Amino acid sequence: MGAKINGPGSENPKMARANPVRKILIVDDESESAILRAVRRRLEEEGWEATVVQPETGYSLGEEFEAAALWSIEQSLPDAVLLDVRFGEHRDDQFRGLRILGELVDRWPKLPILMFTQYSQGQDRETAVRGSLQWDSPVDFIDKLASPDEVVLRLRRLIGVSPEAIPIGNHILVDVSTRQVFVGVGEGRTEALEIQGMKFEIFRELAASWYRSPGELVAFSRLERYSEGENPRASLRVRIREIKDAIGKAMNMRFGPSELILNVRDQGYRLVPPKS
Amino acid sequence: MSKVLTSVKIAGAVIALGGIVCLILAPLIGGSLSDSLWALEPLTYIGAALLVAGLGVALASYARAEQQARSADGSNGHQQGNSWSETTLQYFQLFDHDLGRPLRRIAGKERELRAVLQAAPGEADAGVVDLLDEIERQTPNFRLMMSNIQVLIQLESPDIEESLQPVEPSEIVRRIADLYTAVAAEAGKEITWWSEPTEMGLVYANSNAIEHIVTNLVDNAVRYATTHVEVKLTNNPSHFFVRVWDDGPGIGSQYVQHLFDRGWTPEVVRREEKSSSGLGLFIARSLARQLGGDLTVETDDNSDGDHHTAFLLSLPSNLSAQPNGFR
Repeated sequence: MGAKINGPGSENPKMARANPVRKILIVDDESESAILRAVRRRLEEEGWEATVVQPETGYSLGEEFEAAALWSIEQSLPDAVLLDVRFGEHRDDQFRGLRILGELVDRWPKLPILMFTQYSQGQDRETAVRGSLQWDSPVDFIDKLASPDEVVLRLRRLIGVSPEAIPIGNHILVDVSTRQVFVGVGEGRTEALEIQGMKFEIFRELAASWYRSPGELVAFSRLERYSEGENPRASLRVRIREIKDAIGKAMNMRFGPSELILNVRDQGYRLVPPKS
Repeated sequence: MSKVLTSVKIAGAVIALGGIVCLILAPLIGGSLSDSLWALEPLTYIGAALLVAGLGVALASYARAEQQARSADGSNGHQQGNSWSETTLQYFQLFDHDLGRPLRRIAGKERELRAVLQAAPGEADAGVVDLLDEIERQTPNFRLMMSNIQVLIQLESPDIEESLQPVEPSEIVRRIADLYTAVAAEAGKEITWWSEPTEMGLVYANSNAIEHIVTNLVDNAVRYATTHVEVKLTNNPSHFFVRVWDDGPGIGSQYVQHLFDRGWTPEVVRREEKSSSGLGLFIARSLARQLGGDLTVETDDNSDGDHHTAFLLSLPSNLSAQPNGFR
């Protein structure tokens, strides 16, 4: 038995230089639909390699997909799987994806699986979620109408690996491995030299939180670890100001109070990517 | 109880059948035993009596069953009982799936068109981009409306019970914030969320219900906020709380009492066309109370001051009642 794996395998060169390419396997009988094409495009923008499982016979039968998915995972060992629930109109295939999920979790219990489905809520999800909790596996459900950005965010969290480089919008890149912050695009990219030591740690915390969930605030308590003196809150405020000034200088602009790093009163800070 | 009624119905039918048999046999026996007519008359009487009694028992059991079905549904105004709600839910899920298909096509084409426009920046008319944004904005609306109706069916079906599961509230809030961040950004608004403590851990709850309630609250907040929405997750030893705050114009005190009414929207007061079904907050509070919690609101509509609206959802953590079988 065998399966043909289709995938453009292209990646964003900017990201590919900095981060290892993550392989995402897509198991869906509607992989050529506009929704899936948009998701695949977004995965590629992320610098990930999206491959689509298609049964060799070309039938859209759940059984064929089940066999092809298992074979493909054995062959390509992806970092995560995007799996549909319903395969075709046949009654037996209505929840075929849950059966495939069971097989995958049984064989590869640590493999992150994102169920991409119309049935992202309700009893069917609960049945599968309960099962997955008992199996202690990284499984999540997302609605088929979810935006491609949401799909990428969920996959990031499921895969659970902090990237070596975090691009913030089009103009800022936080290189975690070399502890540098770059500003600008292409040949005009320069290092923001003032962001070193504690300031780099603060910015890295903000960037990592934004990478996991764009709206997530980083509490003062977490950031004050990187502050010194009798008044760590005041010291933190100064460092945040310095970070904004350094990046603003490199971008030839000045960030206002609600730009780049937002202060939520008495709670903490949050990153807001500059508008390009 | 229904088993007893079924037995009574069967007994009634058997008695009535016995009566009919006796009535049929009476003339036959009478004809063959002409010199024993004394036996004919009692048999006819017994048969007639049995028929009447059997029909009576059967009718009474049917009437009782009907009465029981009505009393079971009375509080919710339903016409039928358990099977009705299950069937409705199944039909609705099918309906949801079939409606979702053309919508997925529309959303997919919209995203393809957006990608084409991004590949050629500057060439697209701003109006076209606005139209695409509008289609994208309506997608979460559709998801929420479908979800609202499903939950409403379940809410009003007393026999559908959802068990407690281990749930990470921060993960639910994170998902909802992710869903609405892009929607809010398109409208020039910001969503910020956080949890105190940062690692809240697991509670035992109904994750579908929490997701549903908080989605409704965030959807409302994004709709009415001026620029900012904040979602804060906190806890105490027995409960966890989700506070959804927005810096919108606030709600007049005369309207607050109607906020959780079924079908009420601000447009009702202004006699304008409703922009939503007005079910969201009604369902949210009903669900919260069904789960042993509550949903309250605090608002300030002072145009000179710090106008805002904050909904506070409180739900029990059920940490002492964790079900078996979960880690």
